[in-house]
Amino acid sequence: MAVPLPLPPPGPQFVLRGTQSAVNALHFGGGAQAQGRQLLFSGSQSGLVHIWSLQTRRTVATLDGHGGQSVTWLQMLPQSHQLLSQGRDLRLCLWDLAEGRNAIVDSVCLESVAFCRSSVLAEGQARWLLALPGKGSDEVRTSTTDALHSPNHQVQILEMPSKTSVCTLKPEADAKPGMPMCLGLWQAESSPRPLLLAGYEDGSVALWDVWERKVCSRVSCHEEPVMGLDFDSQKARGVSGSAGKALAVWSLNGQQALQVCSTHQLTNPGISDITVRPDRKILATAGWDHRIRVFHWRTMKPLAVLAFHSASVHCVAFATNGLLAAGSKDQRISIWSLYQRT
Amino acid sequence: MAVFDTPQEAFGILRPVCVQLTKTQTVENVEHLQAQLQAVSDTALQELQQYILFPLRFTLKTPGPKRERLVQSVVECLTFVLSSTCVKEQELLQELFSELSTCLYSPNSQKPAAVSEELKLAVIQGLNTLMHSAYGDIILAFYKPSILPRLGFAVSLLLGLAEQEKSKQIKIAALKCLQVLLFQCDCQDHPRSLDELEQQHLGDLFASFLPGISTALTRVITGDFKQGHSIVVCSLKIFHKTVGFVMADEQLRRLSKAQAEPVVEHRIAELMVHREGDWVKNTSDKLVILIKKIIECVSVHPHWKVRLELVDLVEALLLKCSQSLVDSAGPLLKALVGLINDESSEVQAQCNNVLRQFADQKVVVGNRAFTDILSESLHSLTTSLPRLMNSQDDQGKFSTLSLLLGYLKLLGPKINFVLNSVAHLQRLSKALIQVLELDVADVKIVEERSWNSDDLSASPKTPTTWQGNQVQRRYFRFFTDERVFLLLRQVCRLLGYYGNLYLLVDHFMELYHESVVYRKQATMILNELVTGAAGLEVEDLQEKHTKTSPEELREIVTSLLELYTSQENWYLVTCIETEEGEELMMKQSDLQAITSRVHTCQIISFPAFSKPSPTICSMNSNIWQIYIQLEGINQFAYALGKDFHLLLMSALYPVLEKAGDQTLLISQVATCTMVDICVACNYDSLQDLINENSDYLVNGISLNLRHLSLHPHTAKVLEVMLRNSDATLLPLVADVVQDVLATLDQFYDKRTASFVSILHALLVALAQWFPETSYIGQPQDQSLKEEGSYLHQTLKNNTTAEDIEQFVLDYLKEKDVADGNVLDFDSDEEKLSVPPTLEENDTLPDVEPPLPVHIQIAKDVMERCIHLLSDKNLKIRLKEKLQHFSYHILICRRFAKQAPHQQGLKIHSTDSTQQRGGEVAGARFFGNASETFCPKENAFLSIPIRKEK
Repeated sequence: MAVPLPLPPPGPQFVLRGTQSAVNALHFGGGAQAQGRQLLFSGSQSGLVHIWSLQTRRTVATLDGHGGQSVTWLQMLPQSHQLLSQGRDLRLCLWDLAEGRNAIVDSVCLESVAFCRSSVLAEGQARWLLALPGKGSDEVRTSTTDALHSPNHQVQILEMPSKTSVCTLKPEADAKPGMPMCLGLWQAESSPRPLLLAGYEDGSVALWDVWERKVCSRVSCHEEPVMGLDFDSQKARGVSGSAGKALAVWSLNGQQALQVCSTHQLTNPGISDITVRPDRKILATAGWDHRIRVFHWRTMKPLAVLAFHSASVHCVAFATNGLLAAGSKDQRISIWSLYQRT
Repeated sequence: MAVFDTPQEAFGILRPVCVQLTKTQTVENVEHLQAQLQAVSDTALQELQQYILFPLRFTLKTPGPKRERLVQSVVECLTFVLSSTCVKEQELLQELFSELSTCLYSPNSQKPAAVSEELKLAVIQGLNTLMHSAYGDIILAFYKPSILPRLGFAVSLLLGLAEQEKSKQIKIAALKCLQVLLFQCDCQDHPRSLDELEQQHLGDLFASFLPGISTALTRVITGDFKQGHSIVVCSLKIFHKTVGFVMADEQLRRLSKAQAEPVVEHRIAELMVHREGDWVKNTSDKLVILIKKIIECVSVHPHWKVRLELVDLVEALLLKCSQSLVDSAGPLLKALVGLINDESSEVQAQCNNVLRQFADQKVVVGNRAFTDILSESLHSLTTSLPRLMNSQDDQGKFSTLSLLLGYLKLLGPKINFVLNSVAHLQRLSKALIQVLELDVADVKIVEERSWNSDDLSASPKTPTTWQGNQVQRRYFRFFTDERVFLLLRQVCRLLGYYGNLYLLVDHFMELYHESVVYRKQATMILNELVTGAAGLEVEDLQEKHTKTSPEELREIVTSLLELYTSQENWYLVTCIETEEGEELMMKQSDLQAITSRVHTCQIISFPAFSKPSPTICSMNSNIWQIYIQLEGINQFAYALGKDFHLLLMSALYPVLEKAGDQTLLISQVATCTMVDICVACNYDSLQDLINENSDYLVNGISLNLRHLSLHPHTAKVLEVMLRNSDATLLPLVADVVQDVLATLDQFYDKRTASFVSILHALLVALAQWFPETSYIGQPQDQSLKEEGSYLHQTLKNNTTAEDIEQFVLDYLKEKDVADGNVLDFDSDEEKLSVPPTLEENDTLPDVEPPLPVHIQIAKDVMERCIHLLSDKNLKIRLKEKLQHFSYHILICRRFAKQAPHQQGLKIHSTDSTQQRGGEVAGARFFGNASETFCPKENAFLSIPIRKEK
């Protein structure tokens, strides 16, 4: 053959199998100190959390704490061996994984049955904030019939590990954003004020000032519900994906006002998760069209479309060393090595 | 005979005899005296020593020509007296010494007198006895400068005898005597060790003789091999003792401190040697020449004792004179190192002892000069190695490489000094690479095909020890002797053991990349380096200072593995037909049927294709490349042991793939590698290995299925995996089957045959994993086994239609009988056999529970097969009908029995929702089945349903 075959598109570095149900949440843990001992947590629809060793590519342990209800969110607390898992059994569990233990040490009840994932802002090991959808249990239940004040439309902020409620963020009376779909709790480097970014059912993204319990700014960037967002606090720029065909990049100006910078059309509608790599170079989206899309974060130039999964991709996660993991409805987790720094 | 104890009694007896002898000096009288002496006790004799000696000495001293016979008997008598008595006076010693020495000397010629051999022997023995009979103090006083002329005379006399005499006995006696004279006697009579001053004194004295002694002895040593080994051994001993004594570093060091010269006569002072710097330098320069001569001659001496003595010589000189004889260190070490692999085990052992001793005492490591010398020698050896390998015979090559190995052993951890120099490393690596060049002209390697290679279970039983040493004989360009190869391996291992592994691996990886010509050799070397670094099968002499940690080793192995199994290095063209793919594979199978295992000259049956086909040589080379890489993986497993577990994820798939290679050599070594991986990772059998690591395999399979054209062997691996796994893997299998079917959907036209065989293997596996009934305990196991073995057989014998039909019929008949008895268990079994892994379905509540996974798989497969029924290719059609449907029926029938009501509905209801016309498929399937198999089969299908009712 005179013309050499073009190289086949690269595949994933490896694929983790064995969750035996759709993968809904992924999170890298184990820290950056030893690449060999890196762990990946996956939450499945069957309610199990699998802990994978990336060294052996096998499960190290399986956590069963959500009574068979889908696990939607996983987060490791920094500098500790504690894992948070949110399940559709309306519980948020705190697991102690130190020294091979895997026991639930604490749990928080959730009010909202929606798919909204919680968010954590850890200031230190001793005290951290948790944003979760739904109303605080200590709040007086007014009229549950009032759609606006239904617990499903609110966001509750807790201080952990004491579980004291800091506040409940209710949408303004005139706005009807619907349910929160995704949350991002963060803090600007310059000020200690915790801020919350929330994507709503109506396609808008709102910035909440947690201390003042008010919306600083709201921008409507999607036609469809916002499915996922990620925020780069250094560049004060965020990105959100929705059930529609577009990605929106928005930024925050000095007056704490959100404004849409640009939107990017996708071939197929539906983004279920979006995440920026820790080094802020690229971002990845999990698409309902079974594809993972990779963009350049600064320019939003599309870099790659990773086709491997045979069902919609539910979640994407980056490790500190740049490894990308994607979990899909086809029960597989694909691990990709992309644009590694050499 | 009476013994006379007291001197008085003895005197009475001896007096007349002595008087008689003094009067008339005849042989008879001497003999008479000697006879009388026998009866006298040693103490009495000691008292009368002077008296008895007088007539004897008188006889010797009388001027005028004497009869030799008389002299001889006198000397013998004298010797007898001396052997039983001590010489206590220095005067007497001196006089006797000169009297005896002059016996052999004719006053008017420079040469030893032409006397009989008996006399010579008698005199030599006399001298020997004399020196032994002298008291310790006396003898030390004897060795003073003034004796130098007389001593010199005796020494040269003895050297002359040793050199020129014909009689072996005299030669040896002369050498022994010389040894005594030079104070190096190793008999028990000299217990007293000399103090420093005495040693120095003697050293000064003997230094005068050193040139004479060393040259004369060298002549003896390098003389004819036929003169007998004991003479050479003796000469070597005297040589190294004398040289070692006179040139001892210890003495010379003290000498450098100024010392008062003893006042001696002018004439004698001229003879004296002062061992100052210049002298030492000159002498050592001259000694180098002699030592080189000796080594050259002795190291190839046919008698092992001589070579053994050489080892001692090297030891003595290197230990005692490492500074004074520094120039000789090179040749000496070379000699020693060269003898490491001597054919005599004694020499080897001694050599190793000495080397170990050197290592322990850090003779080399602690001595900068030696390290330099060694690395220089190593450098020059590596420079000349390729040339030597070209020109020498195998024996020569063997000794050259032994030398190389010895140098490395001796250098030990200091190897790194050599390796850190780019020039040295280059030379060494190039030399190794050149020497290890393989001969790739053999056509047979390319020809030999493996037909049944995919049948891993037929491989020999898993051994419990590492088998890696059963290497296929390989043919090197430069040598044929297997020992040479083993030596080279050892050289590489030693490098890995002592050397900086990162540096070495880096360097050889570079060479690997540099040229295809180097690649095979570099791979071989890399493999051995890793084995060596793990400290396996390394003959080490000295402890390693920095051990490669397991993590480091694993890192290195990981990168090597990556290199070996990368696309461009692993998938090399090993036979022409691989590129042609399916069609030829079919052809081959046909051929196989015809020729039934007589597979020779397959190459001829493939006519030249339009493509530029690779040459036999390049294919052979590729085969070897893969062979060596596989062997490398084997060695890595061996080196890492249990740590290799972590590398299975990247190593297992490629190895398994190669186990199914068409080239016999490759498939053999891959199978062997699998077995050894089992041993390394502690698996009981290959099945275990495959079964427990299926997830890694599935990963490789599913990724490769995406690019089937690049990885045509993927199907084979899956097949092997399916055959060797069990029901616990169902979820994994279900996962990968989705990939397979998706790929099949893309490639209906091509590669169908390999897919059909995967699907077949899959159904066989399913049938095996989910047997119809689960009797408790043995019966089930048995039936499983039977089934397994039957399936196995059928696989082996390239299943025929009759086989399958017969099998299914037999099987059904058996089950029929069995069913009647175990109906009660059916309800339990249903629960058991439904895998717990069903997908959580939180959509519609009224949806029917999904099919068990295995049934679902079977159904999916069935749907694909429907399309293949009309395939153009007769072979595929046949395979389809005969093989698949039997298992389809088997599996579905069981399910039907478990859930009779549901099943009938089920297949049809779910099928109707399928877009592919599943209903039609299902109907056709059952229709076909009943056509293909006898009506009894059909009837049988309905039996359980009736029973349920």
